[in-house]
Amino acid sequence: MNPALAGIAAIVVGGAVVAVSARDPRVTVLAMLVVLLGAPLLVVPTPGPLPILARVAAALLAGRLLVIGLRGDLVGIGTAIGWPAEAFVAAAAAVAGFASHGLGAAALGPAEAQAAGFALAAVAAAPLITGRDVLRLGIGSMLLVQAAILVRQGLDAPAGDGEQLVIALLTIGLGGAVAVISAAARAAGALTVADDGGAGRLAGGLRRADAHRPTDRELARDAASGSR
Amino acid sequence: MTVLPFLVVGAASGTLSLLVRSRRGWSTGIALLGLAWMAIVASGIGSTATIDIGGARLAGSDWLRLFAILGSVVGLLLVLVDMAAVHEPDAPGVIVLGLASAVLALAAADPAVAVIAATAGGLAGVLVAAPLGAASRAAFVGSRELRALAVAGTLAILATAWLARPLDNLVAAPAVFGIAYLAFTVAVAIRFGAIPFHLWAARVADAAPGVALPLLMAWGPAAFAAVALVWIDQSVAPLLVPLTTERAVLATIGALSIVLGLVAALIQDDLEHVVGYTIVADAGFVVLGLAVLDPAIWEPIRTWLLLFVVARSALAAWVVAVHGAFGTRRLAALAGWARRAPALAVALVVIGAAAVGWPGLVAWEARASIASMALPGPLATLTVVAPLVGIVIYGRILLVGLGREGAAVRGGRGERPGWPVPRPSRPMVGLSRVERAFERAGHLGSAVLDVIWTLPAATRSNRMPLASAAVLVLAGLAGAVAGGGLGVPAAARAAPIVEPGPQASPSAAASLNIPGGSGGAAPGSVEP
Repeated sequence: MNPALAGIAAIVVGGAVVAVSARDPRVTVLAMLVVLLGAPLLVVPTPGPLPILARVAAALLAGRLLVIGLRGDLVGIGTAIGWPAEAFVAAAAAVAGFASHGLGAAALGPAEAQAAGFALAAVAAAPLITGRDVLRLGIGSMLLVQAAILVRQGLDAPAGDGEQLVIALLTIGLGGAVAVISAAARAAGALTVADDGGAGRLAGGLRRADAHRPTDRELARDAASGSR
Repeated sequence: MTVLPFLVVGAASGTLSLLVRSRRGWSTGIALLGLAWMAIVASGIGSTATIDIGGARLAGSDWLRLFAILGSVVGLLLVLVDMAAVHEPDAPGVIVLGLASAVLALAAADPAVAVIAATAGGLAGVLVAAPLGAASRAAFVGSRELRALAVAGTLAILATAWLARPLDNLVAAPAVFGIAYLAFTVAVAIRFGAIPFHLWAARVADAAPGVALPLLMAWGPAAFAAVALVWIDQSVAPLLVPLTTERAVLATIGALSIVLGLVAALIQDDLEHVVGYTIVADAGFVVLGLAVLDPAIWEPIRTWLLLFVVARSALAAWVVAVHGAFGTRRLAALAGWARRAPALAVALVVIGAAAVGWPGLVAWEARASIASMALPGPLATLTVVAPLVGIVIYGRILLVGLGREGAAVRGGRGERPGWPVPRPSRPMVGLSRVERAFERAGHLGSAVLDVIWTLPAATRSNRMPLASAAVLVLAGLAGAVAGGGLGVPAAARAAPIVEPGPQASPSAAASLNIPGGSGGAAPGSVEP
């Protein structure tokens, strides 16, 4: 085990645990930034200055976009099981990832990257499956993609400069997408949004079929005609 | 010429269009200019031109060139229809960026790079699904779309990474290839919103502007599917592992999407949902095609990819034009639409004919080839004839349009062109021939100036005829492509330049009867 890589992996996993546990969006964004900055370093040999610079710039831009989308004093719902439980889940997944390095064949990357990838995927699962907080769901999506990239770093040869550039674009895109969604939720007054469908429920508590929900434009028109 | 200029123009104009989003006219204008320029640049992409950027090779191909040209032209017409009909914010910039990233994914010779690019491109769609300042419903839809994109991207990244290295020990466990193959193909199904992964797509069809639907649900996922096709041919097919269960699962998803997608489209009342579910049904043939590991599937599946994205874009444009004209997408409220918009009625007939097709038409034959290679006899026949349900879908819409005009249609805009101001009267007062000639020349100049001054107002008052004209052009393009025009079959036959696939040692490969002991089917092997 490479101690330096193990240290970076621990920081990345720690950042992921904080990102999915924190209720304060600023803490969440800061923790996500730690993940995005640390993930590119979990590779042997360390990439050249240009690719690293591209990934760092992309991480900072993604973080900045997230901050723009989260202005105000909104509060998220955080984790339901507490950060220690999230940390244990991450640790267990990291051990599994480290032990299964290569997934059946000789790997070309470090085991620490795969361990961190498994841990990130594990902590991303809960927000993705149960998340009603759009920031948490977005952070889960970002962590899941980062997990895949980390596992790829652990399995395959280091990414070339061109691939690093495309990953940087993906990072910015993810940050922007989460920021846009958070801004839309902020406009509605809360990060937690429900799938009300704008059409209520049918008799017997059944939810209306997705395909038959009125569009926002039609709801607005109905509201306007009702108020007249 | 390499694909680089196309990407630079797309990235620059798309980004600039979104940066000036607060000025909607400027934003749309920049996107229109960008798309026009992209169409010109795309026509110059060489089929063998390659460029290395930081170790990542970007290669052109005939199919890529046609995809880029069609994408740019269709995008341009979609934006024109949108501008004339409803003028949604952000959609033009998102279309440009999404198209550029789709072409980047197709140009990347390494599937590992391509899947990342295709995933990044899909994210642009979140901007129109959850527009800034929109309500919580939009946030909900956007977050579900993001989740679907993230899950699909993750599956594809992991699949490509798993099989991208020397597979010395891995070839002894064929299940590994099955899992990777299933992961990538299910990722394609998720991106298309194929049944049973259609929930997010139905919600996006609710929330996203109609003009952006083709990009979100067809063009972007089509590029993703094309990448999957290359990867399968390069990394899975050469190993000659039967993967029976995995292929059966995929074939089931594909066949279900075709049949249930058509049924769903048939019972929809909202026209945008009709577009969404017909895309899902058409995408079923793509998923079905991915269940075939024979290189002979290349031509029909790549032909079908081009045909269906153009036909569905035309249908989406038709819906946007109808919505702009009559202010509703509800079929029940659109009684008599065809009487007030005969050009749109003609366009719908052409789109329907291109989408449904008939035996002998390139579109029909592509579907028949895919179904016959993926499914056993009776099921294949059922799947081939299933799109005939489209006649009922389009017939129902047309029948409503031929009925008595409802309130929404009566109060909407018609297609009859008009001029905003009466023509000024200029009586002749000259006496001699010279005087009258001089006078006529002066009147001609004044008339030209009258036209120029009134042109913006005339454009505004003729939005409906302009939108209908653009939809007609799109319908014609769909018809031409469905008939095999514009060199679609030849482009689908041409092989792309790809990076070598997984390397198994000769000994390990021999245990699985791998010819040559190396993956990466030679691109030339797919030539018929």
